[in-house]
Order: sequence, then structure tokens, then C-alpha cells
Amino acid sequence: MRLEKCWFCSSTIYPGHGIQFVRNDATIFRFCRSKCHKNFKMKRNPRKVKWTKAYRRLHGKDMTKDLTFEFERKRNRPERYDRNTTEETLKAIKKISKIRVEREAAHHKDRMKGKKSKDYKEAKKEIEQNSGLLGVKVSEPLSKVKVPVSQSQKDQIHAMEE
Amino acid sequence: MGTILKVVDNSGAKLVACIQAVKGKKGARLGDTIIASVKEAQPRGKVKKGDVVRGVVVRAAMQRGRCDGSEIRFDDNAVVLVNKEGEPIGTRVFGPVPHELRKKKHVKILTLAEHIA
Repeated sequence: MRLEKCWFCSSTIYPGHGIQFVRNDATIFRFCRSKCHKNFKMKRNPRKVKWTKAYRRLHGKDMTKDLTFEFERKRNRPERYDRNTTEETLKAIKKISKIRVEREAAHHKDRMKGKKSKDYKEAKKEIEQNSGLLGVKVSEPLSKVKVPVSQSQKDQIHAMEE
Repeated sequence: MGTILKVVDNSGAKLVACIQAVKGKKGARLGDTIIASVKEAQPRGKVKKGDVVRGVVVRAAMQRGRCDGSEIRFDDNAVVLVNKEGEPIGTRVFGPVPHELRKKKHVKILTLAEHIA
């Protein structure tokens, strides 16, 4: 049993799934589902289709270089069954996938670093440019306004928190 | 039926037209044997134009389910000519052929094939 990768979206193809297309020069194209097969028939380039792994890798959306990817490899010689090794491998798989998820999250966080300030800047610019639509004059940049809160309200909030 | 298939061996025929499937009335699919008439042939080949021959469909553009539930599809429709006993007439087979031929007991075609998909 071998888990192949989809030619179009690079997802894993489990046995019994998908379709393979054999070109006359004997190259095999494997597809995980009809969606990928149809896209191939439309002659689309997976590097230009946004939902594929190839696109995400190319545009720095996903983590590309990581030690956790090194464990997944094509092995042409079947391993001899050993109870201890299998047990340890199964343990390691869980551990590695956990580490990978963490690193992917960190990568995403790193990627989204400047997002908030960028969004804020764009919103501010929009307001300034289209201030006529609002009906009010936005002469000075928006700043935080202090709202007076009475003592009783403050107590209420405090109570709610508790 | 009526399908024009490419002949991918050195029997001398180039194109054949399917007359009927050997088993079943619904036509043939990948791995099935057909009866065909030779439409185009090379001069001085083992078969000549107008001959009625048998052939095994080794490539089909229509997908066919595999034993594990996945499917396989090829670029074109191709056939290898065989005699009534199922032995190939030619001595070479060109292009990829599916491993399902083993199940159909066409081991000779598989051994002659360049690529097995």
C-alpha cells in the first residue's frame, strides 16, 4: 500500500480514491478527486490556482522548509516488522504532527504580523478620502475618546466580571 | 462498436474498426477482447486490409475501475492483435499497458510491453 500525492493539489491519495491518467509516454498523473482531474483537463497550471499546495508554497503562504517534512519519504524497500520500532514510530508520528501544527501556527502568526496596522491605515485612508459620504466633517484624525463612566456603572461592571 | 482503434504492435495493421465484443453485447472496455476489421495496414505485414481479426483493448480513453476502487484512463484507444487462442500476432507492444491484463490472462502482452501502468 502506498499513499500517493495528487498531481494537481498535492494532497494525499488514499487507496481506492481518485483517478489516474496515463499519457502515451507512460507518465502517470494521479488525481485525488474529480475536481483536480477536471482542472487538469482544463489545462490549468496548479501554480496559478490559489487553492493548491503549489500556489501556497510559491507565494509563501505555507511553511516550506521544515524538519518535520523530512520524515515523509518514499521508501522502496519494505521495512521488516518489528514490534518495538512500530510502537515508537506510532508515538513519534503523533509528536511530529503536534510539532508541525505548532510551527505552522507560528508561521501564520509571523505572516500576519503587520496585518492589523495595515488594515487600520487603509480604513483611515478610506474615511479621509470619502468623508463627504459620511455627512460629518472629519477634520482631525480619529482618536480615542474618553467616555465618562459613573461610579455605579463601574461597580456594576466590576460585579459582572466577578 | 464501430470504434476505430490504433494497433500498437508490429503485426502490420495500423487501424482497426471494432465489429463486436467477444463477450457481452454492450461493447468492450479496457482489457476486453474484440473482433475487428483491419482498416489500414502496412504492406507485407502479417495481416492485410479487410481481414477480420481479434484484438485485446490495451488502452482506452474511457476510465475503468480498478480492483481497489480507483480509476484509470489513457490517452487513446489502442488494441493489440491476438489469435483465437489469445496469443499476440506481433512480437512487440508499444506504449503503456495496464496491469489488469494479467487478470485477463494476457501475460504475453505484459511481458512484451514497454511500460506497465
